[in-house]
Amino acid sequence: MSLFEAKKLRKNFGGLAVTNDVSLSLAAGDRLALIGPNGAGKTTFVNLVTGHIKPDGGSIALAGEDITGVKAMQRVRRGLVRSFQVTRLFADMTPQEHVALAILQRDGKASRMFGRHDAMRPVVEEVGEILHLLGLSELAHLKVREIAYGQQRLLEIALAMALRPKVLLLDEPAAGVPQSETARIERALDMLPPDLAVLMIEHDMDLVFRFAKRVMVLAAGTVIFDGSPQDVTQDVAVREAYLGSYANAGSAA
Amino acid sequence: MQTVLSIAIDALAYGMVLFVISIGLSVTMGLMRVVNLAHGAFAMIGGYLASYATRDLGLGYAPAILIAVVATAIIAVPIERLLYRRIYGAPELTQVLMTIGITFCVIGLANYAFGPTLKTIPLPETLSGSIDLGFRAIATHRIFAIVCGLIVAGGLWFLIERTAFGIRLRAAVDNAPMAAALGVRTQLVYAVSFAVAVGLAAFGGIVGAELLPVEPYYALRYMVTFLVAVSIGGAGSIPGALIACLLLGAIDTTGRYLAPEYGEFFFYLAVIVIVTLFPRGLAGRFK
Repeated sequence: MSLFEAKKLRKNFGGLAVTNDVSLSLAAGDRLALIGPNGAGKTTFVNLVTGHIKPDGGSIALAGEDITGVKAMQRVRRGLVRSFQVTRLFADMTPQEHVALAILQRDGKASRMFGRHDAMRPVVEEVGEILHLLGLSELAHLKVREIAYGQQRLLEIALAMALRPKVLLLDEPAAGVPQSETARIERALDMLPPDLAVLMIEHDMDLVFRFAKRVMVLAAGTVIFDGSPQDVTQDVAVREAYLGSYANAGSAA
Repeated sequence: MQTVLSIAIDALAYGMVLFVISIGLSVTMGLMRVVNLAHGAFAMIGGYLASYATRDLGLGYAPAILIAVVATAIIAVPIERLLYRRIYGAPELTQVLMTIGITFCVIGLANYAFGPTLKTIPLPETLSGSIDLGFRAIATHRIFAIVCGLIVAGGLWFLIERTAFGIRLRAAVDNAPMAAALGVRTQLVYAVSFAVAVGLAAFGGIVGAELLPVEPYYALRYMVTFLVAVSIGGAGSIPGALIACLLLGAIDTTGRYLAPEYGEFFFYLAVIVIVTLFPRGLAGRFK
């Protein structure tokens, strides 16, 4: 059974089908990369999945339940989580507080609202484990504005992990990270739980090839390829869609 | 020496009362970014309710404080839901107009319901006497006000910096959409913060009634003073507000003792100097 299933999702903006009957299913443990040239409709598709925009047609199911009408916040609670972009981290809060917040939200313990977050042993321990796993322990008590960009991106992954999602959407996890630090991001991605279904949106084809077991290509709102990473570069339709952009610019485009 | 000590104690007590009331405004302005000119109105409502509870219902000082603070916070809940929620993120002029409107409505209602006279909140015997230090007696109420200020400062710092609620509040303030994406119910967090801010205003209004007498125009009379305290301290900063209030309390009290004929001249002169030197407040947390 698929853990996540989007069926014939459709979104029109002013008569133009930005997402045109896109179907996608993920099983536990999947590592799927969604790629496509600029303007292919990747962002719109992600927003449809997270619930930030409403589809004009189609349905979305999570663990067998229809969530097409479920609000974005409730989707997070149900285990459909999108990694957070750095610009959305809380500049004045520490990594420790970020991860603690994610854990508190996940557990939804309203009764703990006024309790000390740093005295809740299970929370503190889990925060410590997650930060340690991602090599952020030493930065636990610095403000996010004081830590390096690459480490902020690691913190995004930490946040997503703390929410213990069933399905994780990773939005360009290595974008803007200096080449010297991308290895750390990749190692962090390798540490994601094996049964987690991951959908990665990424431009960096090197990362896509290393991470994904399956690749989908979106062009002009339609899925034009769905298969293995080995086959994607050989596909004629994909080459045509990328002609003039990635094909000429090489792998780092 | 005697005078110096009198001034110091009065200044400290006044500064603390100013702090207890203003810190709530600092929270709404600094954290929730609402220019809440009606903050003094809530302090006044607290004062009226406490006066009514002690004088008309015959309740003791402590239960009267508790009831008045809780009741003021409860009154604030529908006001937040119906009125303030519309002006979060609105232009500052809109916020000013809305909250000054609320202020005048509260003044009108207070005048209508309780008349234009001054309302007292009788102190219990334990607070109305004085403490003898051997060389000098100090009014117990002044000490009480100072202790209240310290407790509020510590408690609020703990709430914001150390509790699970504090994390949610800071997250919601820093980046509301991101906090919501994590599942934080930002509207609830704002509502609770607003209620806490208003509760503190009421508490300050009651504890400070000896220094800032409760009457219908209270809401307007001290509005500028509270705003000054917040902007000098830097909206959203607890240490900033504390320092600012103690500083302003000292300047104002000294001025009143030594040069009463100048009125509030020295107070506002100091304000102008501080604003010139620190345009973002002594410890502005945001902006």
